[in-house]
Amino acid sequence: MSGAADNLLRRTAAPLRRRAELAAGRRGALYALPVAAALIAAVLLVILEPNFYRPANLHVVMQQFAVLGLVTLGQFLVLLVGGIDLSVGAVMNASLITIALMNQHHGHLVASLAACVGLGALVGLANGLLVSLRDVPPFAATLGMTAVVQGAILVYTKGIPAGNIPSSLRPVALSGVGIVPYSLIICLGIAVVLIFVLRRGTFGRKIYAVGRSPEVARRVAISTTYVRVVAYVMCGILAALAGIILSAYVGYVDPQIGGNYNLESIAAAILGGVAFTGGEGGAIGALTGVLFLLVLLNVVTLSSLSPFAQLIVQGVVMLIAVSGFQVIKNRSTI
Amino acid sequence: MIRDFKPSVRRLRTLVLVGAVVCTATVMLVVVGTSSGARAKTPTIAFISQGTSNSWAAQLDAVARKTAKAAGVKLVYFNGQGDATKQLPEIQTAIAQRPDAIVLVPLGQAADTGPVERAMSMGIKVILCDSTVKTNNYTSLVNPNPATAAVPLAKWLANKMHHKGNLLYIGGLPGNATTILYDQGFNQVMKQNPNIHVVNGGNANYSISTAKQLTATAIASGKTFGGTWGVGGEAVTGIMQAYVDAKVANIPPNAGAAATNGSLRLAIQSHIEAAMLQFPPADAKVCIETAVKAIKGQTVPKNINISALPQYGNLYPPLNRYYKPQYSDDLYVGTDKVLTHAELAAIHLTK
Repeated sequence: MSGAADNLLRRTAAPLRRRAELAAGRRGALYALPVAAALIAAVLLVILEPNFYRPANLHVVMQQFAVLGLVTLGQFLVLLVGGIDLSVGAVMNASLITIALMNQHHGHLVASLAACVGLGALVGLANGLLVSLRDVPPFAATLGMTAVVQGAILVYTKGIPAGNIPSSLRPVALSGVGIVPYSLIICLGIAVVLIFVLRRGTFGRKIYAVGRSPEVARRVAISTTYVRVVAYVMCGILAALAGIILSAYVGYVDPQIGGNYNLESIAAAILGGVAFTGGEGGAIGALTGVLFLLVLLNVVTLSSLSPFAQLIVQGVVMLIAVSGFQVIKNRSTI
Repeated sequence: MIRDFKPSVRRLRTLVLVGAVVCTATVMLVVVGTSSGARAKTPTIAFISQGTSNSWAAQLDAVARKTAKAAGVKLVYFNGQGDATKQLPEIQTAIAQRPDAIVLVPLGQAADTGPVERAMSMGIKVILCDSTVKTNNYTSLVNPNPATAAVPLAKWLANKMHHKGNLLYIGGLPGNATTILYDQGFNQVMKQNPNIHVVNGGNANYSISTAKQLTATAIASGKTFGGTWGVGGEAVTGIMQAYVDAKVANIPPNAGAAATNGSLRLAIQSHIEAAMLQFPPADAKVCIETAVKAIKGQTVPKNINISALPQYGNLYPPLNRYYKPQYSDDLYVGTDKVLTHAELAAIHLTK
């Protein structure tokens, strides 16, 4: 962007920023809500389900957090620019198949990981271009891309994915520092970089601007196409990384590995205060949403309730959490 | 714009047009005549499969094609794409073509009932393969019976647990017909074993990764399990993988599963005592052969219980009798008895 356009962006954004600062306290409370809810839940867990704090159980939760956390960070970026990505599960499946097939043909592990990341970026690029240049609704574009990727997997594998997960990849998910798996360290490292970029970088401001109002963003010479495409590409890359880590964790070629992650990543981000309409929310909130979902699943599993009751409990708790968040959000914006 | 042509050009155009119509009609008559003749000679089976979705379906399709070719019948393939809603229009298209028989792998127990009854009313033989629908109005049902096959498996597991202790249960897909049948057999035995405490680990929805995550949580809870039960091959594979990754010294005995080379490998390599039920895609051979018999007017049994056939019975230790190291984890026990090495290689099942 040219210097003049940059100045224009600063001048036009200034009143918006002042207004944002005025509401900062209220918004701060809003974003702190999921964290507070998590802390309350943590105290309740000590009383209700003490097994939760067993190191072995915390290790399991951390392993699962790393995977869902990475996908949710990507989904969060796309939601920020007013989009949605329903192809993250398909990208995760494609990562697993790529690793297994390249391992079968004695491909180098680094090459197969690079191929996964490249594939994720390519799918993200296609999604971004469809949404930005062709004005295809994000829901339709990414759902269509899911069909393309899944179809390509079926055509290539004929429904039977061959190969195994290389044993050298497995420590990424199974080993770590103490009870903290390497996968969680990777996830949190990426989250820190993302938080820094979104809070301190020009690109972060552009993402929020495009999400809040693409029209205004265009007027201040922000390339909404570029910003959206980058968000989708990042989402694809993060989904591919999550697929790699999940493959390392499961250790088995399961072609449906990414099955539930489309909806879970959206649910986690929304629970963490990310707005469906774009331009609102933070990475910490999104990750808190992930923690909330996984702790809920873990506690329900530990409780040994019947599988049907488990579903009801999960659903009710999620509904209470989301509606409670919405009530407080509405009050804070009055 | 009106274009004026000379009369001679107009006549030529008319001649060419008439000639083209006559040629097309002749070709169509020849094609229709040939295919009618062919239909009269070669019986046609519409094979409405689960479709391109997983390795089980791929093996089922390969076995069905080979059996049909050997029997000299024409097999028309309809792809259910692993989804009941996508399979339904395929069934309707198949019926409209009026084949001699339909071999259907039903994905929607209720949804497929109407089309099956309509096909029967049109005189088409209907063979249900590996699952059923909500009517008795079909020609033959070829199906493993998990409800009866699960009983000896659950008894074996209860014996291994000395009829006491915690048993980790990882379920299948709630509401799914096969899951319901598995559970019937399992619950029947567990009612007779009040000292076995069944711990619900959750439903894996036929996903290895979900089963692994659920089992990892159950192991991490600190409970000790004297046995594990998984509904479906995916659940059992996930259970075993979770125990291996958790580095548990003595992995408890396991039962359930649809026996695959992968679950056998894990059990053998990790010294897990396991008993497995068969849900063999190789039974497509029985489905097609039954359809051929029905077309020929021979009497076929209303119900063929695959689990009762010796080659498709339950598998008990020692499991290395069944494991085939030369093939991939996705091979189901018995498929290699129907398909040759080259045919298995064509569907990526060789190493």
